[in-house]
Amino acid sequence: MADENTPHVQAKFFTKQSQYSIPDTPYSVPAAVGTSELSSLINQILKGSDDSVDAGIEFDFLLDGEFLRVPLDKHLENRGVSSEDIVEIEFVERQPAPKPEDSLLHDDWVSCLQGCKECILSGSYDNTVRIWTTTGAPLLTIPGHSAPVKCVKWLSGDGGPTCRFISGSHDQTILIWEWHREENSVECVHACRGHAGSVDCIAINEERDKFVSGSWDKMLKLWSAAAVAEGDQEEQLEAPTKKQKISKKVQTRVPVLTLSGHTEGISAAEWLSRSEVCTASWDHTLRLWDMEKATQTSQMQGTKVFLDMSYSLLNRQIVTASADRHLRLWDPRTTDGAIVKCTYTSHNGWVSSVSWSPVNQYLFISGSYDTVMKLWDTRSPKAPLYNMSGHEEKILAVDWSIPSLLLSGAADNHLKVFQYNDEKHGT
Amino acid sequence: MSSKSRSKRKPDQFDFVDKGVNDSDSSESEESVYSGLEEEPDTSEEDQEQSSNQSDNDSSDNDDDEDITLDDKSGLELSTEQRKELSTASDDELNEINDQRYTGNVKSQNRKQQKQITVKTADRPDEYDYDSSDEEDIRNTVGNIPLEWYREYPHIGYDIEGNRLLKPEKGDQLDEFLNKMDNPNYWRTVTNKMTGQNVVLSKEDLGLIQNLQSSKHPDSMAENYQPWIDFFTHEKMIHPVTNHPQHKRSFIPSKWEKLKVGQMVHALKMGWMKPTKAKTEEEEEENFYMLWKEDEESEITRRYRAHLPAPKMPLPSHAESYNPPPEYLLTKEEEEKWQNMEPEERRMNFLPQKYPSLRLVPAYKRFINERFERCLDLYLCPRKPKIRMNINPEDLIPKLPKPRDLQPFPTAQAIVYRGHSDIVRTISVDPTGQWLVSGSDDGSVRFWEVSTGRCMKSITMETGSLGNMCIRSVAWNPHPDVSLVAIAMGQTVILVNPGLGDKMVTNNTDNVLHSFSPTEEESMGKKVYADWSSIDTSDKRFENGFRLLLQHPKEVSQVTWHGRGDYFASVMPKGDSMSVLIHQLSRRRSQNPFNKSKGMVQCVLFHPVRPFLFVATQRYVRVYNLLKQELSKKLMTNCKWVSSMAVHSGGDNIIIGSYDCRLSWFDLDVSTKPYQTLRHHKRAVRAVNYHRKYPLFASASDDGTVIVCHGMVYNDLLKNPLIVPVKILKGHAISHDLGVLDCVFHPSQPWVFSCGADTTIRLFT
Repeated sequence: MADENTPHVQAKFFTKQSQYSIPDTPYSVPAAVGTSELSSLINQILKGSDDSVDAGIEFDFLLDGEFLRVPLDKHLENRGVSSEDIVEIEFVERQPAPKPEDSLLHDDWVSCLQGCKECILSGSYDNTVRIWTTTGAPLLTIPGHSAPVKCVKWLSGDGGPTCRFISGSHDQTILIWEWHREENSVECVHACRGHAGSVDCIAINEERDKFVSGSWDKMLKLWSAAAVAEGDQEEQLEAPTKKQKISKKVQTRVPVLTLSGHTEGISAAEWLSRSEVCTASWDHTLRLWDMEKATQTSQMQGTKVFLDMSYSLLNRQIVTASADRHLRLWDPRTTDGAIVKCTYTSHNGWVSSVSWSPVNQYLFISGSYDTVMKLWDTRSPKAPLYNMSGHEEKILAVDWSIPSLLLSGAADNHLKVFQYNDEKHGT
Repeated sequence: MSSKSRSKRKPDQFDFVDKGVNDSDSSESEESVYSGLEEEPDTSEEDQEQSSNQSDNDSSDNDDDEDITLDDKSGLELSTEQRKELSTASDDELNEINDQRYTGNVKSQNRKQQKQITVKTADRPDEYDYDSSDEEDIRNTVGNIPLEWYREYPHIGYDIEGNRLLKPEKGDQLDEFLNKMDNPNYWRTVTNKMTGQNVVLSKEDLGLIQNLQSSKHPDSMAENYQPWIDFFTHEKMIHPVTNHPQHKRSFIPSKWEKLKVGQMVHALKMGWMKPTKAKTEEEEEENFYMLWKEDEESEITRRYRAHLPAPKMPLPSHAESYNPPPEYLLTKEEEEKWQNMEPEERRMNFLPQKYPSLRLVPAYKRFINERFERCLDLYLCPRKPKIRMNINPEDLIPKLPKPRDLQPFPTAQAIVYRGHSDIVRTISVDPTGQWLVSGSDDGSVRFWEVSTGRCMKSITMETGSLGNMCIRSVAWNPHPDVSLVAIAMGQTVILVNPGLGDKMVTNNTDNVLHSFSPTEEESMGKKVYADWSSIDTSDKRFENGFRLLLQHPKEVSQVTWHGRGDYFASVMPKGDSMSVLIHQLSRRRSQNPFNKSKGMVQCVLFHPVRPFLFVATQRYVRVYNLLKQELSKKLMTNCKWVSSMAVHSGGDNIIIGSYDCRLSWFDLDVSTKPYQTLRHHKRAVRAVNYHRKYPLFASASDDGTVIVCHGMVYNDLLKNPLIVPVKILKGHAISHDLGVLDCVFHPSQPWVFSCGADTTIRLFT
């Protein structure tokens, strides 16, 4: 505001965060102002109105639901907004940068992982499943599969003495495990057999009594996750000897339902509601299935192979990772055609995995073969919020089940843990 | 010089004012014209003119004219004088007056009033004097101005002393009326516009006016019809104009005509000459003519129009100068050489010579010869117009769709599969597209997970007796229910069960192989081309997946499966008559389809749907019908050394890559020659491949690139395949002068795998 000749824009600031609310008066700011200048302006205003707020808070600014990433005038120009009018700018406290916290070394590539409370479950290409504490201490290494593990999911990890989890593998089986926390011992309770290809994804429903699995054999199978289910059989004698070593009580479980439709392997599955499942496949489609009617309800056509998918219960949207460089945002509720709501492009390689934030409806993370994990805000489609590098090889899996931890597993045998403090949602 | 023309020249100088004097200026009388005399019937004009000219000459000799203007008052005396003169004037004088008028001298005449008459005076010899053009009427002191300017004043001009010349008194209308009633001369009174005076016209003046009005000669005394001599009359005169006596020949008939006529008469008599026949009716009726004949040019006109100028002789060079620069002069040796050469071989047909001056240049001896040769040249080489076609070179390039409209095709490198330690020669993808197998010069075969780039399994071949450890070829069994990979290494073909993918399939495959029992009759009495041996379960190699070994007599360069996965063929380039063997897996026996070597076999391929076998030798591709056991086609590749071959999934199109950088597309239905040849690679093409589902094909080359082309084959037989190069994929480094050695498409995705000498396998998506 020093130079009178520079063009100015009338801007009105507002926020949804009550602790930072400021008077509703328009300010004249130079058009070429950036985020940092605006941030200091807001800080000045806050300081003037309330002494208790300490200065130096970083803010981000939203115009019409999109983050300001370039100077204000450029942004307005890009959006085709007249700079004559009063611009309404929402400001939010800037998302803090994730801090690398830990790196858990595996014996082989980390292919899948999931966090739950204080524990992290990871599957590896050395055919084992490992359990770690969030602080990075290894708890258990569980051999059980005869081929690389492709997916792991916590079935119940809620602090009780026994936790259950599921792992799927290239050996075409899904194993349901029981982990006795006190004894730190694990036993395989069920072996789900039925797939004729590597099991690539598992999705557990909200009630945690059922789960679906997608496989390279193009089938989607529904299984019971209950401790006891119909049709369970004692493990047959001719089963591989390895499994018998682990547990003598392994029961074989057969699928409740098998759904075919995909023409290529299924790479990801998610429960959308009590009965609805969405699957992403290598045949370039997303399909919605009704599990009660056991039918496919709708289909969304993409253009590239889907490698992963994540569904957010908070905003009811799907973000997919493809075998190109893009992440795409879909809304499964729209019926008229396959509409990609937004495309997020910043990666340089295949995006192998994606995961929504469990608490913030705007945030998700993605991991790519370009070794970088990125934190995205849906409101900033052009650029991610943060890049998290550290891996030296392809990232194969990312997970954000624990709100404060961003997990990534890669082909450099490392599982990296990033601390993320979203103060707004205070974990 | 006719009066008519004059009158036309200035017709508006004269206006007729009722009762007014025409203000035509006497001083400007040079321009005077007869107005109202347009129709003057002046038949004797010319004569008059002549005579007037004569008289003019006369008059100019001795006397002068005087201008006399009709004026009122002051002019009265003159007018009387004039009248006197007029009255006393003889006829001659009157004539003279007329003549003056006609000669265009200074006379103005008006129909009604003013008249100017030149009168001869004896005492002024100055020749300019009778030309009174510059003189002014002395009564009119204001000059030639419109008198309206003095309308407000009582006077008109000034006299020599400076006193005003008052206008004559003018009465009002009553006076006018009274004057009209009383004055007997009223009708002959006119006003001189110049001076404002009233003038009473004399009798002569009236006569003149009447004459003019009645289109007579103005001077009633004039003789219109003067006598003249009519020299060139139509009447015959007694005396001729010329008085020559007539020539004699006018009276004597022509002797030669007589002779000619005599001859003709004689000829007629003798019947030598026939009188022209009267035309018969038929002949007369035949009036047909070619309607379009006019359009055809006769030879002569065409040659005139499309004349081709003779080619120009080259201009003389410096060497032909009489004084050439010294460098053009030949040295002794050169001259000798020139002399010894045949005249046709000589570069120039003369010897450059130097003369000190142009004067000393002798006559050119060969002039006639050269002209003759030139004429011969022109005569013996008929010239033809060269038809030049105006073709825009851009138009010759076929209109191809843009590559971005032909999506999808691989565009970027996605995954690099690292692990081999030497050149990766060959790769193959399993029918589901989940696994990739590669064979390398380091003696290992690796199995990869396509989606992650993970090496799932690596089999290292034992050296031992096998010697050469290079894996030359790997091929995944295309049948989805069989899990076998054929590996060609050295002289062996190994069938390996990789144990990847569906457990059921791998187990089934093992079971089938295990349960095989050879039938006796088949193994007997036939020549064994390849030695089949199965690996025992107890063998260490069984763990690695080895199932069957086929020992060949010579080194195997390629294995390829039939589409149904029961047969496979192996190629031994040095096997002569046994260079191609076809093996049947289910019966474990080998056949040699050819008894005779047709050349060094480069590669073989099974037709995807029909029982055909494509065999590529160095220069030809032969298509054999396996059922009928006959050669069905022989394709000319037009290249020096075929390196690789691929068949379109439809089976009617094949592509061939060659070591001379070419890729040829053959349409088997159309021709045995290439439909199209692409030369995009800079170095030898090592491998070519078709995509099974997408209209894509790729070629890998030693220049380190894989070129992906869109190759659409239409079901419509009339439509030629559309071939558009869409992408050059770079990534492989060149080592040992080798670039990319093999390329394979993913079975279901538009992705291409390539392996190269830089020990990597790359996936482009």
